[in-house]
Amino acid sequence: MREAFDRATVDRLAELWQGPEWLRQRRQQAWELFRSLPLPPSTHEAWRRTPPERLAWDGLGPVLQERGDEVAQQGLEGLRGDGPALALHNGAVAGSWGAERLRQAGVVFCDLRTAAREWPDLLEPFLFRAGLRAEENAFTAQHVAFATGGVFLYVPAGVELEEPLVVADWVDGEGLVAPHTLVVLEPRSRATLVQRRTGPGTGLVNLGVELVVRDGAQLGYAQLQDLRGPVREFGVVRARVGRDATVRTLVASFGASVEKLFVESVLDSPGGSSEMLGAFFADDAQHYDVHTLQEHQAPHTASDLLYKVALLGSARSVFAGLIRVHPGAQKTNAFQSNRNLLLSPDARADSKPELEIMANDLRCTHGSAVSRLEEPHLFYLQTRGLTRQQAVHMIVEGFFSEVLDRLPVERVRWWLEQKVAEKMGAEAPLGRVAALRGLLEEVAQRR
Amino acid sequence: MATANPLGIDLDQYQWGFRMPENYVFKSRKGLSREVVEEISYLKGEPDWMRAFRLHSLEVFFKKPLPTWGPDLSVIDFDDIYYYIKPTDRQARSWDELPQEIRDTYERLGIPEAERKFLAGVGAQYESEVVYHSLKEEWEKLGVIFVDTDTAVKQYPDLVREYFGTVVPPEDNKFAALNSAVWSGGSFIYVPEGVKVEIPLQAYFRINAENVGQFERTLIIVEPGAYVHYVEGCTAPIYTTDSLHSAVVEIIVKEGARCRYTTIQNWSKNVYNLVTKRAVAYRDATMEWVDGNLGSKITMKYPSVYLVEPGAKAEILSVAFAGAGQHQDPGGKVIHAAPYTQSSIVSKSISKDGGRAGYRGLVKVYKGARGSKCAVRCDALILDDRSRSDTYPTMEIDEEDVQITHEATVSKVSDEQLFYLMSRGIQEDEAMNMIVRGFIEPIAKELPLEYAVELNRLIALEMEGSVG
Repeated sequence: MREAFDRATVDRLAELWQGPEWLRQRRQQAWELFRSLPLPPSTHEAWRRTPPERLAWDGLGPVLQERGDEVAQQGLEGLRGDGPALALHNGAVAGSWGAERLRQAGVVFCDLRTAAREWPDLLEPFLFRAGLRAEENAFTAQHVAFATGGVFLYVPAGVELEEPLVVADWVDGEGLVAPHTLVVLEPRSRATLVQRRTGPGTGLVNLGVELVVRDGAQLGYAQLQDLRGPVREFGVVRARVGRDATVRTLVASFGASVEKLFVESVLDSPGGSSEMLGAFFADDAQHYDVHTLQEHQAPHTASDLLYKVALLGSARSVFAGLIRVHPGAQKTNAFQSNRNLLLSPDARADSKPELEIMANDLRCTHGSAVSRLEEPHLFYLQTRGLTRQQAVHMIVEGFFSEVLDRLPVERVRWWLEQKVAEKMGAEAPLGRVAALRGLLEEVAQRR
Repeated sequence: MATANPLGIDLDQYQWGFRMPENYVFKSRKGLSREVVEEISYLKGEPDWMRAFRLHSLEVFFKKPLPTWGPDLSVIDFDDIYYYIKPTDRQARSWDELPQEIRDTYERLGIPEAERKFLAGVGAQYESEVVYHSLKEEWEKLGVIFVDTDTAVKQYPDLVREYFGTVVPPEDNKFAALNSAVWSGGSFIYVPEGVKVEIPLQAYFRINAENVGQFERTLIIVEPGAYVHYVEGCTAPIYTTDSLHSAVVEIIVKEGARCRYTTIQNWSKNVYNLVTKRAVAYRDATMEWVDGNLGSKITMKYPSVYLVEPGAKAEILSVAFAGAGQHQDPGGKVIHAAPYTQSSIVSKSISKDGGRAGYRGLVKVYKGARGSKCAVRCDALILDDRSRSDTYPTMEIDEEDVQITHEATVSKVSDEQLFYLMSRGIQEDEAMNMIVRGFIEPIAKELPLEYAVELNRLIALEMEGSVG
């Protein structure tokens, strides 16, 4: 069901959520902002390469899904082991597994609408506050006002979860879907959340992810996107990292027609550290525009970013990454690397790795490169019996392996390899070195 | 140090920071209007096409907005600036003909010594017009033209008209439009085919009146197979109110030719230095920008090279030093618009005492520029915890068959390095100096000797009191 962007819809969403009064107020304030804020100007540096009009919502309205459909469980395929999992359909629950077991340890893992009803006090300090605010721009205002649902993970102090938690967001229909993720890790706790977004949607996704990692906690967060329809997407993924806390994020995108993401780590306490990995693979006329921010506000903080982008067809990518070291953030260690691989003569990659450094006792480097397939490499692989297509596939796998090798969750690695294979038009991943060996044997036998 | 002053420089000691009483023949009204532009054109006795060009540029200037990025320029009051001052009525040919006070100024800058060193030519800009110009006879015999641009408009109208405004059109940006409307002075250099000018051509530029904008316009044409090295050095006296410098430099490097353009910029620390410098390099040509920025309050300067035919090469070396109250925002741009073109950008920036220095650049590879290569390297040194370094490189790549890399590091002077040098008996301040000199060495070694010496001396001056 599709609604208009009006006050009545905001109220209907509030009914659907049945949340506390403060939440209704936050959303109404966001709606007021949404009404008054214009789209960011396309002359603004952050929007120059992806005019905001490309993400406009004319003729669309929020998708109000009361109940999730089983179809959404498809999103969990291959990613879900025996561990806790959650399936969402345009923000509404479509299945939940293993949450009760977690509850015994004091862990809350549920959809946001349930959380708003049952755990409002846990949400109140963080939701639409800790990582994302309505007043940032028209898109974030829209997100807060019309958030359709999402996921909430709360891990109490000292609780360590070994098994990764998995969430699938199924997006279909032609309206706006605004899923929100809020993760709160209390001091010294540990958890891994894998979130995949897929489905045949054709409208607009307005995503918000707030990651709160308190003192000494450790969070792993993977966001996997393979939306299948010509859907457009705006998103903010922001982590706040406490004292001696660690956050490791992976953002991987394969689907959607236009995607504009802001992925940020805010290190506001000493000893915080952030690893930011990215894997993007676009083809046809897909357009990805990713901003990253490593915000060092406190001394002795560390960040390490590696974003890899491969492009086929007439795809276009923009990477704009900023390391900002605030005055007094001494002993900062910050690294940033962006690598782009052009696989087609019509592909285009822009890279803007930036530094703003206001402290002096630190180590800060960044690097960026744009390259293409090297004929001698392809030739070498072909002399070993691979077809050209397989050779290209192998080089692309090798290109992404630098990211893959740093992922601790096997199922996420598997998923990424599958997606790379799909883009390459192959049936299965080559599986890198092991597969190469198998392939060479097969070739030898055929002879 | 002697008495404290806001710039942190001992004025008695600071050789370049002196000021002569004003004694001008003509000073235009403050502010900018059609009348002022027409007056400038009339006083210069320019042809109609140049007056039309100026008036058109003025329209563009009024329409263009200030840049929305980079340093804040909104404090510039365009109505509070003199756009044209003519220091003497006629061109001086020899040193003795120059007015005494202007001569004194240059004595202190060391121009006569430069002459004695058989430097090729000295074009000296005092205020807005070149007043002293000499060129070694042998170059004149070879057909090399090295005059101020005003003279060139009169003496070589066809050459000027063919190239003027073709590399940097007035529509390019607000400050290029401003310069196009009110330009005065600057150098015009023409090097005929196959002529290699072995000794650098040099010009000194100076600003000397309060609220005087200096809008010089330089045009360099290097014909096929020729070579020239032009050196622009700026030192300016110290003033209390802000001043604007907005130059345009256009360079055409034809097939197989090579041009190097070296600048050591040391405007006084109240000058807004907003300069558009651009070169076009044709087949197998090489363009090199060597750009040192030490002075000024704000510098925005991104020397660029358009590589428009196969085999063209660009090299940009940039050094920036920002002390108290300074914001150095230099950089470089390379546009690869033809196959098999190469470029390299090396930037070194140092910030100190709350200064802000950095690099802002663009590498653009157009579709079809296959086999192009580009490497960008930016290093920054931050000498204290109040200073700031920014790196804003942009890479826009529309071609698959390319190799583009960018690397940057930001660091401080390491305690280990200092300790090592001090354990060898070197004083801390000298050790610091040595490390900074080592840091800029890759660029200093590209300068002609006397400029390398001057650069090191200026940096030593800036580094005074940086330890303890």
